[in-house]
Amino acid sequence: MTAPATRRVARPAVPVVRVGPLAWRVLGVVGLLLAWEALARLNAGSYVLAGPVAVAIHGVEHAGLLGRALRATLVNAAWGFLWGNLAAIGLAAVILLVPRLERLLVALALLVFCLPLVATGPILRVAYGPGDGPQIVLAALAVYYTTLLALLVGLRAVPRSWLDLVESYGRGAGAQLLHVRAMAALPYLAAGLQIAAPAAILGAMVGEFTGAERGLGVLTIRATRALDVDATWTIALLAAGMAMAAYWAFGALLRRVASDPPALLLAPPGPALRRGRRRGAAGAAVMILVALALWQGGMDALGLNSYFAKRPGDVLTFLVTGPEAASHRATLLAAYAETLAYTLPGYLAGLALGAGLACAITLAPGLAAVAMPVAVALRSVPIVTTAPLLVLALGRGSVGTITIVAVMIFFPTLVACLQGLRQAPGDVIDIFASYATGRWRTLVLARVPAMLPAFFAAARMGVPAAILAVTTAEWLATGRGIGSLMALTASTSDYNMLWSAITLVALTAALAHTLVARIERAVLRVYGPEQLAR
Amino acid sequence: MKRHRTIIPDLTRRRLLGAGAATLGLAGLARPGLAQTQDVALQLSWLHSVQFGGSYIAQDRGYWAEQGLDVALLPGGPNAPVEPPVVAGTALVGISAADYTAAAVEQGAPFRIIGVAMQKNPFAIASLPANPVEVPKDLEGKRIGMALANMPVLEALCTLNDVALSEIEVVPTQYDAAPLLAGQVDCLLCWATDLPVAMAMEDIEAVTMLMADHGYALHSQTYIATEESLAERRDELVALMRGEVAGWTDYAEDPDAAARLTVRMFPDAGLDLATQVMQAERQVPLMFSSLTDEHGFGWFTPDTVAANIETLALLGRDVGPELWDRSILEELHGA
Repeated sequence: MTAPATRRVARPAVPVVRVGPLAWRVLGVVGLLLAWEALARLNAGSYVLAGPVAVAIHGVEHAGLLGRALRATLVNAAWGFLWGNLAAIGLAAVILLVPRLERLLVALALLVFCLPLVATGPILRVAYGPGDGPQIVLAALAVYYTTLLALLVGLRAVPRSWLDLVESYGRGAGAQLLHVRAMAALPYLAAGLQIAAPAAILGAMVGEFTGAERGLGVLTIRATRALDVDATWTIALLAAGMAMAAYWAFGALLRRVASDPPALLLAPPGPALRRGRRRGAAGAAVMILVALALWQGGMDALGLNSYFAKRPGDVLTFLVTGPEAASHRATLLAAYAETLAYTLPGYLAGLALGAGLACAITLAPGLAAVAMPVAVALRSVPIVTTAPLLVLALGRGSVGTITIVAVMIFFPTLVACLQGLRQAPGDVIDIFASYATGRWRTLVLARVPAMLPAFFAAARMGVPAAILAVTTAEWLATGRGIGSLMALTASTSDYNMLWSAITLVALTAALAHTLVARIERAVLRVYGPEQLAR
Repeated sequence: MKRHRTIIPDLTRRRLLGAGAATLGLAGLARPGLAQTQDVALQLSWLHSVQFGGSYIAQDRGYWAEQGLDVALLPGGPNAPVEPPVVAGTALVGISAADYTAAAVEQGAPFRIIGVAMQKNPFAIASLPANPVEVPKDLEGKRIGMALANMPVLEALCTLNDVALSEIEVVPTQYDAAPLLAGQVDCLLCWATDLPVAMAMEDIEAVTMLMADHGYALHSQTYIATEESLAERRDELVALMRGEVAGWTDYAEDPDAAARLTVRMFPDAGLDLATQVMQAERQVPLMFSSLTDEHGFGWFTPDTVAANIETLALLGRDVGPELWDRSILEELHGA
């Protein structure tokens, strides 16, 4: 029995939800709907949960309003998606043509990606004035980094001999890029777009919080304050539905452009780690200098008023050299410590859950029928609508916030780990099977080591996701930590503190990313040395 | 990206113009001889709602158009900057509050308060009748749900009324009545005109204790402009405030009409008419008083300013009376 079961999972098919038979999926969905309705009825009067029936009624009654809001949000998300991905493609092309810039550009891209939405939103609003500018830019910012990473892997996934062929015709890097690399990267681009699509919708909704006339984000704010639970849930489900539809649509595209879709997240830990320690430190210094120059130069170029657009020098004075620097630092670090106390457990729990569920699905493939739709849904519901609901349901203590962080990390980890588990070489699995090894031992001894590179790739990508989750939850729901501090400082014009917090968060993200990459390298040296050689 | 930056304000303006022309009707068409219209913006402090009903009336009835002013009403939101667009010049006037304005001035923003829409501060403590907070002393032993950002407000209320802050359990919550109804807290710090209205719409009549009735004197929904605008764009400021005064004067006579207009003007805002009507009525006593009856909408006196300065001091904001500038109102009301 063992062999057929494992073989079924070992099939290199990316559409993971197809693992279970259709009947299972239908049963799973119906069961979930029934459980949801029952839960809603049990909690009636608590203004937390609306059941599927109430949601359906609200949706039909307000179809016109919801349709207009949905269109506004989707149009902005689509523009942001377009611009963000074009930016990613441009950056990837530059990196490929000038490989020496890779480390710097990728690090800067990560830094920008980690800027907290609660802080960037108002700044974009001031820079753009009224209109859709901030919504589009935030959507673009939400997508460009994942696409860039996917492209960087894809553009390199080219047999050396093809490049040699181009060279033998006397053509240069440009021709290689156009004729060989771009074609090879297409499946990776599609995979990147698949991850990016739900993120664009979230970005557009957060952008609406900065002062928009219409959209799903606007309706969310209104519904929450008006105790309109039916509306809150209808909007959340609508947004999630759109995000999932986009996810599946790009998944379908991916299957069209690639007969054997790429194991996207198997990106090696990046060139930075192959350098010596001293060169690494020098590189980091250059990176920081460039980031500071961009910060100062960008603000000067846009002519942003120094009342709200603080420069690096202002932050230095505020935190280090100014007369009250010590008390400023104390306030900032207290909020920071509070935030870390939520982020770390949530991050680790998300990773553990994702990897654990991936292993469980490998052992019992039937689970996928129920688990995958829930996982996709959890990840797709925009965090701006889920965060307050989760906190309301789970309480304002640590549990609510930690859960939100874990939910954000969990799904990408699950997808990556499922891919990773399938990377176990077929002949190794065959040997295990021929010795009648049990499923459990096969998992632990063969599949889990094969999963590690994908797991660590997810862990690296989880760093910005965790920061986004925790700052959003603190801002919108719990009112604690650095996310709340940033919202508060923006409303009381304490822009020095705001920019100090932004700096601290961005630095933390970069450091955490580096730390995970180091652990990854240490582990892979033992379990997957082939990943480190290129 | 650049293209968007230029295209979008255009679209907004055209849309506003369109909406203006449609709603102005005959009054709008019958204004010949205007050589040019000045485009200015008013930055609102929150999403469109009847909270700004008077401004919508001013636009709808052409009170700005007849002075050659085309005013764009920029919505706010939970993550929307209010003071920065005024500093940056995107908006000529912003709707702030005395405490936020004082904080901004402390950080170097050159603001003056040129009018006061809410004479009484809308902050209130909302509780349920079974376990009510009717006077500040009732707060002792209660769990209050509020944003931690508002701690200075609670501290000021306690100081003003000899309430022991240590006897109150503060529970950080999002701005939402659900924690009160779910029994997670005994009372909420909120505006008298929003969460209690939401509860009333669910047939839950909350007890609201207005903080302004217990010494918390703080101008809210204040009109702010920069010193530079006061010096150089005086005509536009006067025209904008004249429209505001006319709009809000109409509002006082028929708040229901303002609510209906709000819902009609912003069909995409998801507004509920009954809610807007109730909110419109409940904010009337906050905005109009014997003072405004006598001197006109938006007025303030050295006495009310002095009371504000005292409350601001309790909030840790050290400001003087020069933060307020009545010259625009004086020009309008002919004082």
